[in-house]
Amino acid sequence: MTSPSRTLTVGVLALQGAFSEHVQLLRQAAQILGESTKPDINGSGNGNEGALNWRFGEVRTPAELAVCDALILPGGESTTMALVAARSGLLEPLREFVKVYRKPVWGTCAGLILLSESANRTKKGGQDLIGGLDVRVERNHFGRQCESFTADLDLPFLSATAAGVTPTSNSGKPAKPFRSVFIRAPIVEKILPHHTDGIQKEEAERDDTIVAPSKLPRDETARKAVSANVEVLARLPAGAVTLTPKGKTAREMGEEGAIIAVRQGNVFGTSFHPELTGDARIHVWWLEQVLDAVRKAE
Amino acid sequence: MATELPTTNGHETQDGEGNNFAVKAGLARMLKGGVIMDVVNAEQAKIAEEAGAAAVMALERVPADIRVQGGVARMSDPRMIKEIMEAVTIPVMAKARIGHFVECQILESIGVDYIDESEVLTPADHAHHVEKHPFRVPFVCGCRNLGEALRRIGEGAAMIRTKGEAGTGDVVEAVRHMRQVNEDVAGLAGLDDAALRVRAKELGAPFELVKRTAELKRLPVVNFAAGGVATPADAALMMQLGCDGVFVGSGIFKSGDPAKRARAIVQAVTHYKDPKVLAEVSMGLGEAMVGINVEKMPEAQRLAVRGW
Repeated sequence: MTSPSRTLTVGVLALQGAFSEHVQLLRQAAQILGESTKPDINGSGNGNEGALNWRFGEVRTPAELAVCDALILPGGESTTMALVAARSGLLEPLREFVKVYRKPVWGTCAGLILLSESANRTKKGGQDLIGGLDVRVERNHFGRQCESFTADLDLPFLSATAAGVTPTSNSGKPAKPFRSVFIRAPIVEKILPHHTDGIQKEEAERDDTIVAPSKLPRDETARKAVSANVEVLARLPAGAVTLTPKGKTAREMGEEGAIIAVRQGNVFGTSFHPELTGDARIHVWWLEQVLDAVRKAE
Repeated sequence: MATELPTTNGHETQDGEGNNFAVKAGLARMLKGGVIMDVVNAEQAKIAEEAGAAAVMALERVPADIRVQGGVARMSDPRMIKEIMEAVTIPVMAKARIGHFVECQILESIGVDYIDESEVLTPADHAHHVEKHPFRVPFVCGCRNLGEALRRIGEGAAMIRTKGEAGTGDVVEAVRHMRQVNEDVAGLAGLDDAALRVRAKELGAPFELVKRTAELKRLPVVNFAAGGVATPADAALMMQLGCDGVFVGSGIFKSGDPAKRARAIVQAVTHYKDPKVLAEVSMGLGEAMVGINVEKMPEAQRLAVRGW
């Protein structure tokens, strides 16, 4: 009766920051996914997949990273995470995970900064980046904590997935906007051209801008994922309101349309914190992407 | 002991237009698993950032010096705080006196990322704490037990820390306060609403927050250790007792090799469950701060008793 089960391990980098929130939402998402997509998976021709198991764990060491099929880099302080990663012998393994093996990765806020190939407004003396997304991010784009805010986002990419039908709708469309939290958030300032071999040279020549080191993908699948186009998945809506005294909107601040979610192949980044809501829709969508990417890589 | 803090907790009862508790409590979540270090100038702030601090607390005198020099301890010079804000890119916190809401207004206006309404400074009000909900800037407050923690959250604090006994380098009081909170939370288990109302009255805390704490089996906001942490082992001890992160005050810049000790404490907070890493980072740190044994300290010199 039992078909051989398959386990996919998703890690959450747990050096510092809001990692436990991601683990909780991943668990929620797996449950939603299990309930809503089982018939589909059973009918997809591969008999093993009916018994797909997800395993979620915190990653603090190279050994814990080595068993992961996919990884989330959570919100927190990117400078702290980069320093602790380097001192824990994790920085190079993380770069290999993202750029050489090109496994599915998602970064939120500080995680997005670490995944970018170029970043500015870093601490004096710069910071280490992992890279993997051909973008330049600007740290603390909106300013300090008093400029932090929440915004309701329309995320069209959610409608095509099981995520779109949960938890509030059965129509296949997102029933409600995604309430998202921006805390001292970065934005994607520029989409960069992909360099097949080498660092972002033009970026490295800019003042106060740091770049990630280059790594060669290990095979054709990884190469394809690395050199995919950067897609803009979400922009800041005009009506987002900050905490500033008069509650200025994004339009009034001239921030309407700022890029806040991007994807390049199987690497995804958001400048906001879906882990600070009870809403698992983006996590559901991302697990579907992971499943898809893992299948493609096989 | 450490229980998960659910992703939305504390927000639904506290969130309202204009105060945005999710954003305030959210920054505290981003600091979890991190170390917040006391610094008195831009140079120290850079050393802290370089060591991996998740945030710094800007103040004119660290608690150990406040003890020695005595007198009234007040909010720091805003210019000095601004210099520190310009020197680093990580969040900058600053302290206001208990009940001194004008110091809080000043700190908010210069744009600090968090205000610590702190017993380390001389209290400005004998009975009232600051009403924290109306501020846009989030607040962290100290506690010795669950009642005190929930009173502060009720007033609007988006983050809690143990009081410990600041400026002593003696971790015993931080441990006492964390154990007391854990014990108080455990004591809510299995109580129905009627019993929780009685407990709320005894704790002197709002019923809604007592009930939420009982459901969560932990404080409904992020909770850091503070007051007397001086070594990597102290920091890991507080983490294993269930704290979400650690404040280190005098412990770093009153020690022999601040940069090295700061790095070691940062590593210890991330790898708090791994004694091998803890052993490694504890080696050759040089002199720890000299310290004062709290047990031998006269009651009048204790800071933790301040706050109501």
